[in-house]
Amino acid sequence: MRVALIGAGQIARQHLSCLKTLPRVQIAAVCDLSPAVSESIAERYGAPAWFTDHVAMLRDVKPDIVHVTTPPTSHFRLAMDALQSGSHVLVEKPATATLAELERLVRYAEERHLVLTEDYNYVFNHATREIARWVETGALGPVVHVEVVMALNLFGPGGFADPNARHPALTLAGGALADFLPHLASLAHRFIGAHRRAHAIWTKRRPSILPYDEMHAVVEGAHGTATLGFSSSAQPDAFWLRVFGERAQASTNLFETRLTVERLRDGPKPLQPFLNGLEEGRAVRRAAIATLMRKFKPGPGTYDGMWSLISGTYEALARKTPLPVPVEHVLAVNRMVEALKPTEAAS
Amino acid sequence: MRALVTGATGFLGRRVVAALLAQGHTVRALVRPVTSVEEIGWPASVEIFRGDLRSVRELAPAFDRVDVLIHLAAAVTGGEDAMFASTVSGTERLLAAMAGTACRRIVLASSFAVYDWSAIRGTLDEESPVETGSDLYRRDGYTIAKVWQERVTRRFAVEHGWDLTVLRPGFIWGRDHGYLAACSQQIGSLHIVIGPFSHLPLTHVDNCADLFVRAASDPRAAGQTLNVVDGPGERIWNYLGKHLKCSGAGGLRVPFPYTIAFAIVRLAFASVFKRNEKLPHVLVPCRFESRLKPLQYTNERAQELLGWRPPYDYGECLRRTYG
Repeated sequence: MRVALIGAGQIARQHLSCLKTLPRVQIAAVCDLSPAVSESIAERYGAPAWFTDHVAMLRDVKPDIVHVTTPPTSHFRLAMDALQSGSHVLVEKPATATLAELERLVRYAEERHLVLTEDYNYVFNHATREIARWVETGALGPVVHVEVVMALNLFGPGGFADPNARHPALTLAGGALADFLPHLASLAHRFIGAHRRAHAIWTKRRPSILPYDEMHAVVEGAHGTATLGFSSSAQPDAFWLRVFGERAQASTNLFETRLTVERLRDGPKPLQPFLNGLEEGRAVRRAAIATLMRKFKPGPGTYDGMWSLISGTYEALARKTPLPVPVEHVLAVNRMVEALKPTEAAS
Repeated sequence: MRALVTGATGFLGRRVVAALLAQGHTVRALVRPVTSVEEIGWPASVEIFRGDLRSVRELAPAFDRVDVLIHLAAAVTGGEDAMFASTVSGTERLLAAMAGTACRRIVLASSFAVYDWSAIRGTLDEESPVETGSDLYRRDGYTIAKVWQERVTRRFAVEHGWDLTVLRPGFIWGRDHGYLAACSQQIGSLHIVIGPFSHLPLTHVDNCADLFVRAASDPRAAGQTLNVVDGPGERIWNYLGKHLKCSGAGGLRVPFPYTIAFAIVRLAFASVFKRNEKLPHVLVPCRFESRLKPLQYTNERAQELLGWRPPYDYGECLRRTYG
């Protein structure tokens, strides 16, 4: 399978590092507006061709699949061009700036019998998959509620709030925070299904060029409820996923390897908190060591979910089996994202 | 001479602007949109052109009546991709704008980082090999960006027939920049000095700035690549000792032989760490060498070509740094 990539920034290198490890996958070309970025990435990852014009790349290389890893406002045009040239498309989140754009892409892909999928890497993290397995085996019991909270400092130099060079994500509805909504929504969708209603509160705590720096929301899904949050001020950086089941509650920090569970146990009730505490202590100690050791080992590191999703996608394409992220899920997640977006201009 | 200086508010940039003004040249400083220049105390004659190389669209007016571009801007912090985008894509943007103007002269600040330290024995000079090929991507983000910045600038210069001088400074030091990463591995107040008798390729920021102005104004520098060091360099042990004493930082120095340290790093990298290149720099052999390898340094070419001698000796540099 011959793959091409458009947009050769930081996240693109994660895609390419994974693609280099996949059997029967050839990185055929890369494209970036900057000739130096494009050429250097091609040199680094052994791509035989590099371009600064994606139309020329699609025409000359005719890739089987295109990864779109540019800033989000350019996704629609680039993904549509790739589909029109007959390529499958894996697009980074957020897939498009608006739901209407995504629906147009989906319609077109279906007409041409092409695959369109979006990167929900945290859904495929080891910890998330483990919790999902506990749900499927019944160990967690039916899911009642999900809590997804990302705390990430956006105010550092060179980041989303840098006033010297405005980040492209600032043009999205909701500003830079909108760049993270698919992470929150995809995790909620994984455990409670498509949303029925949602209510989000967008606020601003600190002076900066960000229109908002906090978002907290309540969502009712097909199989339960969720609270979603993004905080630019809460520290330290963390990405908490907590799944509350009828028999157990699982909690993980997706920026690390920590995964703990509190569950109903047989035996005297007063001993349950004690035994759960011992188990949690062991899990936290193991995770602390594993998180440290992960930094000293080659491989995906915190991007293990992305590697899993990409390799799963290629395997599904080769075997013609269902995709890890089918297009119905892409639509459902983006409908939730749309429902979460701010409805009024920031003050 | 009217010089457009990028990175003008940086550590080297401020001294280059001061040296240009002291020699009677006119300065136009490229400054980021919200960077304050008031506390620098530039005279009103310094023209300020606002723009950020990462995003600015209209740069050609910055070259209006400019005789020489002194390109110092480069990211020294941030992730690898952010550094590349800022340093290299920023240079592409800047030089694409210059291509439509009458300015035909560039002095580029490159770095000792661009050399292939693993391949060099004895003396590092301008003929020493530069990092290339896949080995480049085992180095740190700053090095990757500086190698590509030099490549991009040389290509533009060839394509447009510009006169390019590439200056490669060693370790630039000066006030508030006395401690260098190569000095020691610090654990609290303990300084483990690897290769204590190795020399540091030092250039004091005022000496370095002087050579930048000389290169910009002397036609003999056109088409040349020059290393910028003040001389053979101080030994790490002595330099760190002076720094700890003069800065008041204090601390205990512990010597550790380079050969043993390097052997441990190589062995650990190949075995325990499974050649993981995401490790801290000091644990990756090629990066370890680029900071600590004991080599000799010379400024003979700058002396022969331009008759340049660093204007300030080591004692005066110490006074300017710590006095």
